[in-house]
Formats: sequence, structure tokens, C-alpha cells
Amino acid sequence: MADFNIRTDAVDVEQIMRQIRARIESKRGVDYTEQQIQELANVKLERFLNPKGVRSDLVDQFRRVRDVKLEPFQLEPELRTGFDAEMLYGTHRGILRAIRRLLNPILKLFFNPNTLIHAVHKQSGVNALFEAQFQFLRHKAQQRDEVDVLYYELVHNLVLELTRIGIENRNLKMRLESLSSRMDFDERRARALEGVVQYRPGTGPAREPQQPRPRSDERPAPPPPPSASAATQPVQVQPAQPGTTAEEQTGESNTARRRRRRRRGRRGGRSRTPGEAIAGGGAPTDVASPEDSGTPPHGDPTADAASNDTSDADFDDDPAGAGDDRDDSGEEPDPSAQ
Amino acid sequence: MKLAVVVQRYGADINGGAELHARYVAEHLSRHAAVDVLTTCARDYVTWRDDFPAGTEIVNDVPVRRFRVDQPRDPHVFGRWSEHVFNHSHSFLDELKWLSAEGPKSTSLLRHLHSADAGYDYVFFFSYRYYHSYHGTKAMPSRAILVPTAERDEAIGLALSPRIFRGVRALMYNSPEEKRLIQSVSNNHEVPAVVVGIGSDIPPRPQGERFRQKYGIEGRFALYVGRIDQNKGCKELFTFFLRGLDALPKGLQLVLIGKEMLPIPDHPRIRHLGFLDDQDKFDALAASDLLLMPSYYESLSMVALEAWALGKPVLANGKCEVLRGQCVRSRAGLYYETQAEFVETLRAISESRGLNAAFSANGREFFQRHYAWPVIEQKYLDILAQVKEQDARGISGSGMEPEPGWFARRRKDLRPANVVLADLPFGPVLN
Repeated sequence: MADFNIRTDAVDVEQIMRQIRARIESKRGVDYTEQQIQELANVKLERFLNPKGVRSDLVDQFRRVRDVKLEPFQLEPELRTGFDAEMLYGTHRGILRAIRRLLNPILKLFFNPNTLIHAVHKQSGVNALFEAQFQFLRHKAQQRDEVDVLYYELVHNLVLELTRIGIENRNLKMRLESLSSRMDFDERRARALEGVVQYRPGTGPAREPQQPRPRSDERPAPPPPPSASAATQPVQVQPAQPGTTAEEQTGESNTARRRRRRRRGRRGGRSRTPGEAIAGGGAPTDVASPEDSGTPPHGDPTADAASNDTSDADFDDDPAGAGDDRDDSGEEPDPSAQ
Repeated sequence: MKLAVVVQRYGADINGGAELHARYVAEHLSRHAAVDVLTTCARDYVTWRDDFPAGTEIVNDVPVRRFRVDQPRDPHVFGRWSEHVFNHSHSFLDELKWLSAEGPKSTSLLRHLHSADAGYDYVFFFSYRYYHSYHGTKAMPSRAILVPTAERDEAIGLALSPRIFRGVRALMYNSPEEKRLIQSVSNNHEVPAVVVGIGSDIPPRPQGERFRQKYGIEGRFALYVGRIDQNKGCKELFTFFLRGLDALPKGLQLVLIGKEMLPIPDHPRIRHLGFLDDQDKFDALAASDLLLMPSYYESLSMVALEAWALGKPVLANGKCEVLRGQCVRSRAGLYYETQAEFVETLRAISESRGLNAAFSANGREFFQRHYAWPVIEQKYLDILAQVKEQDARGISGSGMEPEPGWFARRRKDLRPANVVLADLPFGPVLN
């Protein structure tokens, strides 16, 4: 949380609230407007939904249920029958029907049965209409139930899918973070290495001849018991022996070279000493490999040698590398001895 | 000068907003004039059932006359009338029935006011929405001074309300927002008025450490003081707090003080201490990092003023215009309206030392300038002097308008209170 540097008399709460809201907005992006929400809500589901990925026949079934056409409702025949005077006065007993007819004029003296008959007739029509409506609604409700089941399943599948995507998204984020941190590390390493590459004036970048990979059976000699004198003994830089050609100097056994390279690798890229370089063939070889990246660029060879002495002395303390240290002192072993 | 304070409930242990407000005012005005408190025997604000004995008693050196309530409130009947007048077109008679249903209806109190009319120079009526305020103001408009304690609720949209606001001699508002709300609904600009609010007796040295030891609270905490109720915004507060736990300052707890009316989430970072006395309350404020005020409706938050007096920032619900206005004017608090704003404002107050220090200094200064008791008392005395001077010049106010006739009061031509309320201006008053 960034601190607010505010004088007591200059506090503007509304301004602070605007800052806070801007911060919230920058964190989560711009809020959707009401119109945008409506647009999102109106987008057809099928545009995003892959039926194969959700359930084999869910969307088809959904469409099928939606497309069911309702048959027109047929009213029952007895309901279709209206109401008339015949039904009011009618009976299967002939005498009774006759008496009723006879007394009908008297009945009409008291009230008008035609109005009643008319009203009941209309009522039967209304009943029929409501019956039809009821049937229609019942049908719709049944359909709705079926669709609801599908909706439930659809939502359930969507939730599952969302959860899966959420987990996958998180995994991908973690992988991305891991990769980016590794890439950062590599970049830093590359920059560090580029910074220590030696360039000799007039020689240009020269590549060391590629060495064959060391065989697995070429292991360093077992370390001798550590001796204090070896550790403290100053390293003597010896010139190349007269009478040996550069070919012979560089023609020392590949095994010894590989040993040295491997040893340097273990020492974290420590430099070759100038004496070593001289012993190896007169002019020091430009270093282009990471193994030699620890070499101080140029400078006084004596100082280099002295600094190398220290590193060698340190190395002597390492029992694992002590056996090879004699080679590293500048005294190249006799190739015939190998 | 003889004054009366009329309020629906009264007692040393009654801590409702308007009731406490009335008690503080009565006790402080009694240093300058003879003050009687006229109230009912009710303790329960839902039913107004008689709990105290009728008669006179002394509460903190102030004589209190209690009168019986005619009948307890029936919440169902009141609810039905409220629904009708708030949401439907209705008549003036319907509103009068709503007022009777709300209560507390005490005809003996009104009778006493009539009989003692000559005895009291001025009468302070607390809370405009109750039976005693309307009928008391109607009975003695020339001596009635109203402390409306109005909130943005539907009652202010009733046709009864503007009649009271226009009919009294003077008005003591709690906040500029309340003043604007009432002036908008009643157009009573000519009635003498002042924004005064309420003071508080702040102990000189509250002991935060004592509170921590007594209740075993360690670490930083945000404090809520008040009834733990959905109407006070506590449900939203719990939701925001629990949802934002990951983003909130590490270890920040929520400590609640007050009566539980709502289930409190069972979480190790939420502590409920129940109802505490004033000493513990002030100690808690002193120990807290900030005060939370989640309420949607407030006419004035006394506990917010107390927090400011102790140099504590306040985080208020921005949907309550009064609280938001107080935060802006005091320059001593922030407000929130959404979950994200709740988290960010809480973090800003808790983690920004510069902001916290500025809020603390501003809060103290704001309280001393506007809400210290000498300031409050002086405002009351000034308004009394103003109306007294008007009386001397023969200006005694226009009084309450006569009620509609038999037919007119039955005509259902009044707009629903909700509709009226929706037309009123909203938002903090920043000038």
C-alpha cells in the first residue's frame, strides 16, 4: 500500500477516494457498463458452447425440446355441447315433459327463463375456453419441466468446465512464472558471461579447438593426502621447454587437457594461469568458453599468477581435486608418463 | 427560564440515538435553566409497553415525568399502515391513523402539556415522526422547538412531516444533510434553525491497554460500536470483512460492541464483546485502529464523533449521506460503497501512517470546533435567545397549518411517501 503523503490541513477525502477508486480500477480493469452487461447477456449460448465438449447430445436435445409444436387443443365433445331450453325442460319421461310444457307459460309469469338459459349457455362456452387454456398451460408446464432439467445439466456442466479451466489457468500461470524466472536467470547469466569475455588486441575472437567429450572412464586420479606444504608452496611459473614445438606442446595428451578442463569446471570457471598458457604453447589462448570466464581480463601476468596461486592453494584444500592439482601448477606432466 | 424536553423514552440505561441525544441535551441545559423531561413509561421501542412506573423521578439530577401509554403498539397493524401510506396513494386520514398506530400514544402526556402550557417557556420535541411530536407541536406551536433527528426514510415523505417542520418555532438540525432534506420537503427556510448535533463527554485519558487486558485482545483491530443489526449495515460489514480477509492488513481483527440482533459469523478474527459501559467503550476506541460505521441511515453518529474526539479515523458507509458528509467535512475518515472500496479504504487507513496521522489530528480538531459541549450548549442558548427576542417583538411564528376538513382528509390524493422521498436531493453537503 503506497503511503499517502498528506499534510493535515490539506486532506481532501474526495480526492483520496478518487485515488482509491482509480487504484481499484487499475487492479481489476474497467467495470462493465449496464449496456455491456446486457449485450453479454443477450449473446447466444451456442456461439460459445461446443456440444462435443460438454455432452454428446445435450444441445440437440435442448433444441428438440424447444422445437416441439403443440397440437391444437381439441375440446371434448360433451364440453362442446351448449346449453339450451331443451336441456332445461327435457326429460326421458314423456308425461313430465308434457306437464312442464303445459306449465311453462305459468313459469314465465314469475321470471324470464330465457335470460337464464342464455347466461348458462354463455357460461358453458367460457368454461370450455378456460379448459382449453388450462390444457395449454399444462402442456407448457410439462415442457418447462423438461427444459429445466436440461438447464440444470447445462449449468452443472458449465460450472464443471469453468472449474477445470480455472485450475488449468492457475497451473499455466505457475508454469509461466517458473519459465519466466528461468529465462531471467539465463539472461543474467548470459550477460555476466559476455562481460568477461577476453579480446586480445590484434587477434580477434578465436575459438578454442573443440575438444572431444571426455570418456566416462577418464576420471581424475585419486587424491593424495592433503599436505600443508603443497598448499602453501608458491607456484613456479616455468617457461616452455626449449626444443619442443608448439605442436608438441599442444600435442600433450587429450586426457590431461580434458582433466584440466573438467577440473576447472568443478572450480566454477576459474582461469587458466598465464604459466599454464605459456607452458601450453607460448601465447595464451583467448578464452571463449564459459569454463574460463573467471580469468581477469588482461593485466599483469605476475599478478595473475599470484592470484592463481591463491586459487590453487584453495583448491589444494579440496581433497577431491587435490590429485590433479600438480598438473595445474604449471608443471605439465610428461605425456609419455600417461 | 423553564424548559421541557419531550421524548418517547428516557432513562440512564436507554441508549437509542434520539433518546440518548435528549438525555444529554436535558442534562446540559439543566445547568442553564429549569428543565423537565416529559416521557412515557415505555422502555421497549417496538411495542411501547409500559415498563417504568408512572410519575416523577430524578435521573442524573433532572426531573423526569413519565406518563402511561394508551395502548401498546401492534406491530402488524403498524406494518400494514406503513405499507399503505409508504407505497400507495392515500388520504390525510390514513396518515393520522399511521401516526396513531406508530405511537407511543399517551394522551395523559399531551394533557399535561396543555395544562402546563403556561409553565414552560419552550418545549423541545425530539424526533419528528412520533405521535407526541405532531400533536404536541399542534397544541403549542409558539413554544415548540423541534430536534427532528430525521433520516432518509419514508416517514419524511408523508404529508404530516412538512406541517411539523413549518409549524415549529425553531429547528435544531443534526447535520447539513438533514437540514437540506427537511428544507427540501417542507420549504421551511423562514423557520429559525441551526445545525448543532450533539456533544459527548470524552474521558480525558481512556486506557486502551486496560481494555486489551480485560478482554484479552491483542494486535490491531477495527471497532464497531452499536446495535448489531441488519438495519445498521452489519450484515454487509460481515460479508465485506470475511470476503476481503486475504487482502486486508495482516492480523487486523473486527471487534464488535453492542447488542446482538443478527447472527455474528463464527470466525477467529471477529470478536463480539456484547454491551459495554462507557468506560470500556472509550477504552476500546482508544485501543482501536479505526471505527467502522456501516449504517445506511444515520442522522448523526455520536460514536463517530467520539472516535474523532479520540483521534481515531472513521470508515463509514458511503451510501449514508450524513456519514459520508461528516467524513468529507471532518477530513478525518473515508467511506466505502463496494467490497473493493471497503478493502482498499481499510488498507489505506491501516497502513498509511501519513494518512492516519492526518485523520487523527483532523478528527480531534473537528470535534473540538463543532461538537465540544460548550459549543453545543451555546448553540442551544443562542436559538433560545433568538426565539425569545422574536417573542418580545411579537413574532411568534405562523404555527401549524389547520388540518383538512372532513371530506378533504378522506380524499386519497396524497402521493406514496416512497415517491416523495425519491424526489428529494441526495448526497453529502460539501459546502
